[in-house]
Formats: sequence, C-alpha cells, structure tokens
Amino acid sequence: MNHHRHHFVPDFETDDDYVNANTNSSSSNLPRKPIIGEEEDGDLMELLWHNGQVVLQNQRPNTKKQPLSSSAAVKLHNGAPPPPLDHNLFIQEDEMSSWLHYPLRDDDFCSDLFFPAAPSSERQTSNQVTAARPPVPSTVRPPEPSSMRPPAPSPVRPPAPSSVKPAVRNFMNFSRLRGDFTGGNGRGESGPSIAKSTVRESAKVNPSATPASSAAREPDLTRRTDGADSRGAGDLGSKSAVDGGGAYTVGHNRKGKAVVTTERTSENLGASSSVASKSEIEPLETIVDERKRKEREEVGSTECRNEEAKQGRGSSSTKRSRAAEVHNLSERKRRDRINERMKALQELIPCCNKSDKASMLDEAIEYMKSLQLQIQMMSMGCGMMPMMYTGMQQYMPHMAMGMGMGMGVEMGMNRPPPPPPPFMPFPNMLASQRPLPPQTRMGGYPAVQASDPSRVYGPNQQFDPNSSQAQFSGYMDPFQQFRSLYPSQPPQFQNQAASYPSSSRVSSSKESEDHGNQTTS
Amino acid sequence: MSNRRSRQSSSALRISDDQMIDLVSKLCQLLPEIRERRRSDKVSASKVLQETCNYIRKLHREVDNLSDRLSQLLDAVDEDSHEASVIRSLLM
Repeated sequence: MNHHRHHFVPDFETDDDYVNANTNSSSSNLPRKPIIGEEEDGDLMELLWHNGQVVLQNQRPNTKKQPLSSSAAVKLHNGAPPPPLDHNLFIQEDEMSSWLHYPLRDDDFCSDLFFPAAPSSERQTSNQVTAARPPVPSTVRPPEPSSMRPPAPSPVRPPAPSSVKPAVRNFMNFSRLRGDFTGGNGRGESGPSIAKSTVRESAKVNPSATPASSAAREPDLTRRTDGADSRGAGDLGSKSAVDGGGAYTVGHNRKGKAVVTTERTSENLGASSSVASKSEIEPLETIVDERKRKEREEVGSTECRNEEAKQGRGSSSTKRSRAAEVHNLSERKRRDRINERMKALQELIPCCNKSDKASMLDEAIEYMKSLQLQIQMMSMGCGMMPMMYTGMQQYMPHMAMGMGMGMGVEMGMNRPPPPPPPFMPFPNMLASQRPLPPQTRMGGYPAVQASDPSRVYGPNQQFDPNSSQAQFSGYMDPFQQFRSLYPSQPPQFQNQAASYPSSSRVSSSKESEDHGNQTTS
Repeated sequence: MSNRRSRQSSSALRISDDQMIDLVSKLCQLLPEIRERRRSDKVSASKVLQETCNYIRKLHREVDNLSDRLSQLLDAVDEDSHEASVIRSLLM
C-alpha cells in the first residue's frame, strides 16, 4: 500500500501535511487535510508529538489506519462514512484516540510553530481535544470523530487531495520547515546538522516556550496526557523511563524529557513502524521528533502557556521577562553548541563508552596525548629510516626501543624494556616539542638539546623534508648531541662504539649534506 | 575526589563549571592553537571543544600519513631486518 511512502518520507509527509495545512489554509483546516489526503502516516506522526505523548510513532500500518479514522472523521465532515480501519490500530494504541482528537490541534501546533498567531483556534481545538479525549474508547473511533466534528469549529478542510499531492506538499513543507530552521539542510542529515536544526528549532520554540518555565511545560504535557489516562500513564511512564537515555536530546534540557519520550515512545510503539526504511527514518525521526517536541511544547505553550505568556507579557515585567528569555535562549544555544561538540568529540575518540561528560573529556585528553606521542614516535621512526640506510642501523632499534619506553606511554607498541639512559634525549626531544608531562623522564638534556638546533636542522630537512613536525628538527638533536657531547655516555652506546665513528661520519656527512660519506673516517 | 562529586552531578546535560574549566585548561595546554590564542583569556568551552575535535582529526590524518610513509619504508627494507621489525612495531 503506502508502505513505500512510509519508507521514504513518512515524517515529511506528516510534517508537510501539517505545515501545509498551517501555511496554506487557516490553521484549522490543516489537520483535516492530512487525514483526508491519506497522509495518514504523516498525520499520525504529527499527532503523536502534538499530543505530547508522541505515542503514535510512525507505525505505518497503524498510522495508515489511524488516519483513516481521522480521515473517517474528516469524511464524516465531508459526509463520507468513516472506514473501520481504526479498530486494529486502536487496539494497539490508545493514543490514537488522543491523536484523533488532536487532528485539529495539529494545525494549531504547526501554525504556532510557523505562524504563532492563532491562539483562538488552538484553544478551540484544545477544548475539543480535551472534550474528545475522555470519551475516547480505543475501538470507538468512528463515533468520536463524528462527535468531534460537530463541535469542532475547525474550518472546513478542503477534501484531501490525492495522496501524492500531500506527499509532495509534505516534502516541500518539510524542506521549508527545515529551511526555516536549518537553512535547508537535507532531511536525512547526520547528527550534527540535525543537532543544529534542533538548536535552531529549539530556539524557535523557546520564544513561545520560555514564557512558561519548563516546569510549566511538563504540566502541560501531563495535562494533555491526563485526558487519556491509559495513554498518559503509559506515556508518562515511558517518558520518565527515558529521561536519561535520550541521546538525541542531549542538548535539550527542558525539552529533553519530552523529546526523549517522543523517541522512546515512538520506539516502543513503533516496533512495527521499523519499516525497511527505518534507518532512513531514524534521522528523519530525529528531526521529526525535534519538531514534535517543539510542537508539543508549542501545544503545551499554546494550551496553557499562551494565556500565561500573554498575561506575563502584559505585565510590567515584560522587558525583564524578555531579557530573561533572550538570556535563556542564548544560554540554551550555547549549551546546545557545547553538547554538539561533545558528541562529535565522543565520536572521534575510540572506545569511548562514557556517558559522563567529565570522564569523556578526560579520555579525550588522554587520547590526544597518546596520539601526539604516537605521531612523534612515528615521525622519529620515519626520520630514522633513512639513517638506517646510512649505516646507523644499530642505533635504530635501540632508539626505537628507547623511544617506546622513554615515553612511558603505552601506545600499542610492544617494546622490550629499553636501555634507559642513552635514550633520554628522545624524551627530551619530545618534551622540547611539547610540554609533555615529566613521565617522559627528562634528564639533564634540555640544555644539550637546545645547543644544536641549527646544526641539526639542515640534516633533518634532508631526511624528512616533508615532515611537518617540528619534532623532526629536534629529533636529531639528542642524537647528534650524543655523538658530539656524550660519546661515551650510554653504556649501550659504547657497545656500538665502533658505530660512533660511523655515526659521526654520518653526522658530518649530514652536515655537509652528503649522505654517502659515512666511511670517510 | 572532588571531581567525582561534580561528575556524578554532571549528566549529559550539565557539567559543573569547575570541571569544565579544569578540562578546558587541560585541553588548552594540548592544543597549540589555543595556547597561542590564550592570551585573550577568553576561550569558550564550545570553542575549545571544537578545536579539540579539529586537532584530533588532524592528528588522525598525521598518523595516517606517517603510517603510509612507514609502510613505504618497510617495503624498502628487508623483511627480516631489525629495521623492519622496528617499523612494524611503530605501525602497530
């Protein structure tokens, strides 16, 4: 059936439907249209988050049917008999009833989102919804929609256009909606873009939401859920359960709960909705969830907060409240930005399973240090390879081993315990490049190190001209210093005393930019 | 450890200021750019985090480059020479 539609852009459709409805026609018309347009999937999804209970995740099969009920309601409105498809859906989800009641509200939500202006219609719809909610039996769909219809002052919706058309509208709306928030990012975006959109959307929502504290918002949700006790209980339970888990909602403290709930409920209920395109849907879902959350907040705000906000604004402390709002907004943006970065950082760090920010940052710091050391060692290794060609082979393993141990950092390199002293220069060298912690066993070489930077620089360039690491300029320092200043210092080196002449030859050859004159001695 | 207390309180949504300051300062020490820019003494957390991400990506690229070079060098060296073993250990 419309599965294909679901797969691709169920979210969009739903959003678009609502968006279109809001934008195209008066706020009230919209809810109907999506339903009529068989954008059931879309409707369901939107409604889901509107209700705040977000119960009706994207179960396509269910959604399809549910919208039918809503469409049935619409049809009733239009005079067509409602299809009895609801039954199976309702059986599964009581929330649908609430959703059904909300179809009108969806428009309001959407309109609030985009055109925050129609409080009256919202109120009406909310009234309707509340009225409709109590008597909403799971299976009594048809009568309710019909009952809803008469009292609903919602504007008459034009007959739902073909399903294709709403879909198109949805897409456009969604992109428009996205454009509003994120400047036109793709729908299936990656996390960061979604997060950004989330930030923006949250920013958008904030104005309406900030007037009422987040606490107020919760009550709103609660209120709405109260309408359908069964739903509310389930939703609240799910909400509380997932408060801590919403990965996507990291950036939304206040809305986090709602958003998380949305996702969780959708996940719980949407087991069936995990259609083949689930992977595709998920990113969309996040966006949709975000929007849902916003709309939920919008709804909540519209429901009760609008009045409060209006009253608050009317008071003399309007300016202060506005300043506070602005401050909250900026604060939230800043927090969201930080959370975005934290998430990105977490992705970069391997095997980072810490959920705690502090521990994650600690791991990041450790990882960065280890990366730096590793790069230094590899650079040294690269630089020394040519040296091996020049006859310094005996030094190479020792130096490598010394480096490995001198660093004192386990970077996955299995090295035998190194002969200690002669290789101190390497840690020193590294230390000179970076302020490494003392673990690198810096000896008395810093002075030595600084002595021949210019001397060493040339040869270094020869070996690794493309080495961008400043370390390279220093890596030869200890080496040459050894040769020149501490020829007999390391006992191990004395083993290779024979190599010293050659090494000195090498150094001299290096200095003379002559690699091959090793045996000049 | 005092961090533990703040850690417990810090969830994915909140982090104590002290914690953040401490970590940011640590990152500042590691990040060369921030170190240079530190004079302004105004490094926002988000900026630091962004720099950290960029720096880590840069380090990753560097590691890849060096790995490539070491691999090339390894190819140029006899397989059973100790240099080869050294290189291999470096590449690990």
